[in-house]
Amino acid sequence: MAKILIPTALRQFTEQKDAVEVTGATVGEALNYLTAQYPNIKKNLFNDQGRLRSFVNVYVNDEDIRYLDKDETKLQGDETISIVPSIAGGTVGLAEPETVGAGQAESLTNEEVARYSRHLLLPEVGMEGQLKLKQANVIMIGAGGLGAPLGLYLAAAGVGRIGIVDFDVVDASNLQRQVIHGTSDLGRKKLDSAADRMLDINPNVQIDKFDTGLSSENALEILKDYDIVVDGTDNFPTRYLVNDACVLLKKPNVYGSIFRFEGQATVFAYEDGPCYRCLYPEPPPPGLVPSCAEGGVLGILPGLIGVIQATETVKIILGKGETLKNRLLLYDALNMRFRELRLQRDRNCPVCGDHPTVTKLIDYQEFCGIRPMASQAAPAEGAIDVIEVKQKLDRGDNFTLIDVREPHEYQIARIPGAKLIPLGELPKHLDELDRDADIVAHCKTGGRSQKAVDLLKQNGFTHVRNMTGGITAWSDKVDPAVPKY
Amino acid sequence: MIEIQTKPWHAMVLHAERIYPNECCGAMLGRIQSGKKVVTEAIPLENAFAGGQQERYELRPEDLLAADRAARERGLDLVGIFHSHPDCDAYFSKTDLQNSCPWYSFVVLSITNGKFVHANSFLPDADQTKADAEELIWPKS
Repeated sequence: MAKILIPTALRQFTEQKDAVEVTGATVGEALNYLTAQYPNIKKNLFNDQGRLRSFVNVYVNDEDIRYLDKDETKLQGDETISIVPSIAGGTVGLAEPETVGAGQAESLTNEEVARYSRHLLLPEVGMEGQLKLKQANVIMIGAGGLGAPLGLYLAAAGVGRIGIVDFDVVDASNLQRQVIHGTSDLGRKKLDSAADRMLDINPNVQIDKFDTGLSSENALEILKDYDIVVDGTDNFPTRYLVNDACVLLKKPNVYGSIFRFEGQATVFAYEDGPCYRCLYPEPPPPGLVPSCAEGGVLGILPGLIGVIQATETVKIILGKGETLKNRLLLYDALNMRFRELRLQRDRNCPVCGDHPTVTKLIDYQEFCGIRPMASQAAPAEGAIDVIEVKQKLDRGDNFTLIDVREPHEYQIARIPGAKLIPLGELPKHLDELDRDADIVAHCKTGGRSQKAVDLLKQNGFTHVRNMTGGITAWSDKVDPAVPKY
Repeated sequence: MIEIQTKPWHAMVLHAERIYPNECCGAMLGRIQSGKKVVTEAIPLENAFAGGQQERYELRPEDLLAADRAARERGLDLVGIFHSHPDCDAYFSKTDLQNSCPWYSFVVLSITNGKFVHANSFLPDADQTKADAEELIWPKS
C-alpha cells in the first residue's frame, strides 16, 4: 500500500499517526481515502470548493504532482506521498500600514464645520466639496522636502485618508527645508514625526504609515487603494517607478521636483494627459544630474513646489478649476520667474502610448543604470575604505589624496592633506599628477570621485582608487569632528 | 508557546546575520511537549526567491520535504519556519501571511544593520487572513 506522511500539525486529526496507509489508483483517490478515514483533516488540505489549498503541494516520492498528472497521477501502491506546504514571505508588500488618526465618515461633525468654515464659504468647495475631501484617499511618496508642505496642507485641508511611504529617519540636514519635522524629531522615523505633526494640525484625518521604500515588488499593492498619488521622491528610479505604477493603475500622479533654485510641477497620467515618460522617455545617465544631497537646494523651494502639488491634489479631488495636466510648470526662485511648457501624451510612449511595451513594473535601478548594492561587503575593485586611507596617512605612506569637490564644499569640511582639484578642473590638471603614483580620490559621498577615478584611469594612471563613502564616511568612521553637510 | 534552545537559536541568528542584507529562511525541528514546542535543531535553507531577496524569501518545497525527512529520521518533528526581516521590525507582513501555512510556527527575526534585534513568532490561520502572536522564548545570552 502507498502511504501518506502526515505533517506534525495534522496528526491531531489522524490519531497521532505520522503516516497513514492508503489505497487508490491515483493520488486523488489516495487523498480521498485519507479524508474519508479522517474527515477532520479535510479542511486543512482542501478549501470550501474542494480544491487543494493554495499552500499545499503533494509529492509522490520526490516528484511534485503538479509536474506529473496532478490528481490523476497513477500509483503502483508502494509510493510515499508527502504533503509539503509552499511557504514564502517578505517585508515588502507590507501593504498593511500602521494606521493612526480618525478616519473617514459620511458627514461632518460640528467641530469639523467650524474647522473647515473658510472652505465651506467657498462655493467651489462648500459642504459637498469638503465631504469629497474627507472621503478622499491620497498617498504621498516620501515625507521629505516636498512631502513636508504636502502633508501639512493635505491634513489641514481635511483629506480624510493620507498614506505616506517613507523609510528614512530625520537627519539634521533635513531641517533646513523639511518643515514637517522639528529639531526634537532628530533620529525619529520621518513617518512618525510627520504623522504626529499632521494629526496635531487635524486629528480628523487618518494616516496610513508605510515604513518601506517603494519598490517594483510593493508599489502596485501599496498604491492600489488610493485615488491620487503625489510624488515627492528625490531620485530617478523611484520617479519612473511611481510613474509606471500610476499609469498601470490609472491613477493621477501629482508630480513635483526640485533642484538648487529651480522646481517643476505638473499632473501626469491624469485623464488623457501625458505621463512622465512622455516628457522624459529615458533617464539621464547616472550621476549626470546631481541629487539635492550633492548639488544643494534652496530650503524654501520645496515649500513652494510641494504647496503647488497640494493645490493640484485638492483640485483633482474637488473636480474644480483647471489642473496642470498637459502643462509643465517651471519655477526659477533665483530670478523669481514662472514659465510653462505645453505637454502632450506621446502616442508612442512605452507606458501610456497606444501600443505600450511596458505592461508591468520593471527593475528601475537597472533602467536608470544604477548598479544594485548587492556586494556591499566586498569593496569594488579600485575602492578603498576610509579607515585604510586614515592608516595610510598615519603611516606617512607616499600617496596623493585628491579632493574632487567644489571650493565652497572644501570650506565646509576637509580632510587634512587632501589636494583640492574640483572634478570639472581635473582634465586641466592631469599633468601635475604622476601617472605611476598611488592616488586616492574622494568627494562628498563617493559619486564624483568615482568619475574622477574613471577619468584618471582613461588617461593612463595606474594606481587610482576611490575612497568609499567620501568625506561623509570619513566623518562617520574616522573623525566626527569633520562636519557632515 | 515555542521555546528555542541555545544551539538552534545561535544557528538561526548567525544565519540571519550572515545572509543580511538579504532575507534568510530555514526550518526548525523539535518536539511538542504538552502543547509547548521545543526547538532543538535549526536547519538554514536557501532563499529560493527569484528576484530581490532583500525584501522577499521563498522556501523550495523540496528543501522543506528534505527537512521534514531529516526530522523524522531523528525522531523529531518539523515544528516551525524562520525567516528574517532585514532593517525592519519582526512582524508578520501581508506577504508573509499570504504565503503562509497554518501547520507551523513562523518565527521572524528583525536584523538591523546586520545585527539581531528582536524576534516574534506567529501562528497563521488556514485562510491566510490572520496570524496570532505566539509566545516565543529564546536564550537571552
